[in-house]
Amino acid sequence: MAELFSFLYQYADAFALLTLSAVGLVIVFGMMGVINMAHGELMMIGAFGAAFSYHAGIPLPLAIIAGGLAATIVGLILERLVIRHLYGRLLYSLVATWGLSLILSQGALLVLGPSTLGIPSDLGNLSFDGLTFSLYRLMLFAIAVAIIVALWALLRFTPFGLHARATMSSPEMAEALGVETTRIYMITFGLGSFLAGIAGGLFAMTAPVQPTFGAAYTPIAFIVVVVAGTRNIIVGLTTSILILALVKTAFTINVNILTGYVAMLVATLVIIRSSPDGITELLDRGRNLLKPRPASR
Amino acid sequence: MRSLINGKIEPGRSVFFWFAFAAAAVVMAVLPFEIGRYTLLNFNSFLLMTFLAAGLSLLWGFGGVLSLGQSAFFGIGGYAYGIIVINLSSGGWSSLAGLIGGLLTATVVAAVLGWLVFYVRLRGVYVGIVTLVVTLVIETFLNQTAGPQWVVGSAHLGGNNGLGRFSGDIQQLSSLTIPWGAHDFTFMGSSKAFYYLLLGLMLVSYFCLRILVNSRFGIALTAIREDPDRAESIGYDVRLLQTVAFSIGALLAALSGILYVSWGNFITPSVFGVNANILPVIWVAVAGRKSIAASMVGAVVLQWGAQALAIQGQYALIIQGALLVLAVLLLPDGILSLGPGMSRLRLPSRRTTGSVALRR
Repeated sequence: MAELFSFLYQYADAFALLTLSAVGLVIVFGMMGVINMAHGELMMIGAFGAAFSYHAGIPLPLAIIAGGLAATIVGLILERLVIRHLYGRLLYSLVATWGLSLILSQGALLVLGPSTLGIPSDLGNLSFDGLTFSLYRLMLFAIAVAIIVALWALLRFTPFGLHARATMSSPEMAEALGVETTRIYMITFGLGSFLAGIAGGLFAMTAPVQPTFGAAYTPIAFIVVVVAGTRNIIVGLTTSILILALVKTAFTINVNILTGYVAMLVATLVIIRSSPDGITELLDRGRNLLKPRPASR
Repeated sequence: MRSLINGKIEPGRSVFFWFAFAAAAVVMAVLPFEIGRYTLLNFNSFLLMTFLAAGLSLLWGFGGVLSLGQSAFFGIGGYAYGIIVINLSSGGWSSLAGLIGGLLTATVVAAVLGWLVFYVRLRGVYVGIVTLVVTLVIETFLNQTAGPQWVVGSAHLGGNNGLGRFSGDIQQLSSLTIPWGAHDFTFMGSSKAFYYLLLGLMLVSYFCLRILVNSRFGIALTAIREDPDRAESIGYDVRLLQTVAFSIGALLAALSGILYVSWGNFITPSVFGVNANILPVIWVAVAGRKSIAASMVGAVVLQWGAQALAIQGQYALIIQGALLVLAVLLLPDGILSLGPGMSRLRLPSRRTTGSVALRR
């Protein structure tokens, strides 16, 4: 019983780590096809924003939101100056955002120096069945789930969600019907940046905040993006994270953390070997198998 | 033969180009006698990167495959060379074995990774992301190999400190050596001999690549870059051609890696890191990826410029990042496109709908 709880706890922890690291990137990739290589740097900006706000006396939840807003502002500037001009050319946008990430991380190093900041995480622990669980970790899991649910509701029930889904499935048609696709893209990128910043602020409580802060999370986010694919943001995100977190947890518990990462990479290669368009392609294929065959004429 | 060297694919076919090429070759041939030993040491470190740049140019500029993890093969080649040299520490043949072993290891790893990636028809951004994640995972793995259990024969992987540095007195990595009569001849990193070795290898690899891209292989590769589906429907095996190009790019990257170890006698996991991977992309993108020559020149000039800037302050990487962004926005084919007979400066289109974005 204790082992089961311990496994579930670690699984929830991995789920939160993957979701928070990747959600901003997956939204931008799913909606715009752009892989934002500066995602980790937006997380770094969020972490710095949260840490500075916290040390200026702002309460923690507001400080984290302030970090998210800082990342949003930087993200919107990048969208306006660079990414907007490269929407039709995905490889170029990949390369350009990589250049931006270099500018942001080196710029932060130049302005802030290599010193580190931190936010204490004294949320306490929860004891259960002779085991102690960190409340902070449980909170991360709850926030991760809340973000996914909120995103689903945003896409499903709001006018923005309707326009965004229309833009995703057919940009020309959406534009012909009066949807301002460039505005949708801008808001999407801002939302992705905000989520990256929030994740940065949340992780700032466990990791030292420094200019290379984002580097620890970007490979994870890239793996999730590749597995999630572009067919359906919410389904792709949740299924890929449920699978990858399972792989990571199993190998982290039985071997070590590094093997957990390597196993995620191997799992990614295995998944894209069977469905190059991400896990949602596999799900679509499975659903088609279940459908009754059309009667032959 | 003439059509292979002066064929249609690689730019630079005019009399003027060959005149400039000959002039540059003459200048390069006498250069070591005009500069000091320290400058030569630096210059050698710039020249040895040209193979990495040329490989990326073949892959990205001609094959249309952007690998963000070319340094993985640079590092694999370097580490394999170092491990072999440490284990066969006697005689001049050990470094030749290391050279061949390093090149082979990287090429085989690239062929396997290429098989994984290209045979599922992974394209565009996915290839870039997968190659980058692979190299970052290798970096993470090597960073935690400081413990004494991480040995290959008598070579200690050494974690952060790198292979063969600060890890025992006999583990200094040796430079490339060839058996020469009764004695062995060693190409020290600061020597004129190493410089001429690099120069010779650059000439050989440039002409080999020129012939390769002007051959039927290169024409097929260019066709795939322009339109993979159409190339396939004509009958080209896109998967095989991309895997072969990927392996050749890896071979060249490994050559750079081996020469790097031979030059500095050390290698650390940072050669697998993000910065090590973005620099070749910057050289090739800024100079002009659709030309092997421009990519090689770009590698040397930009490293030189970065080092000059580094003396002034810490702006070098920021400026290189800005150069990359500007090149992508204003000169998508690099500075080369300003040259005669090239497509001119392209301003970013004011308004592009996302339709193309989502179809790719």
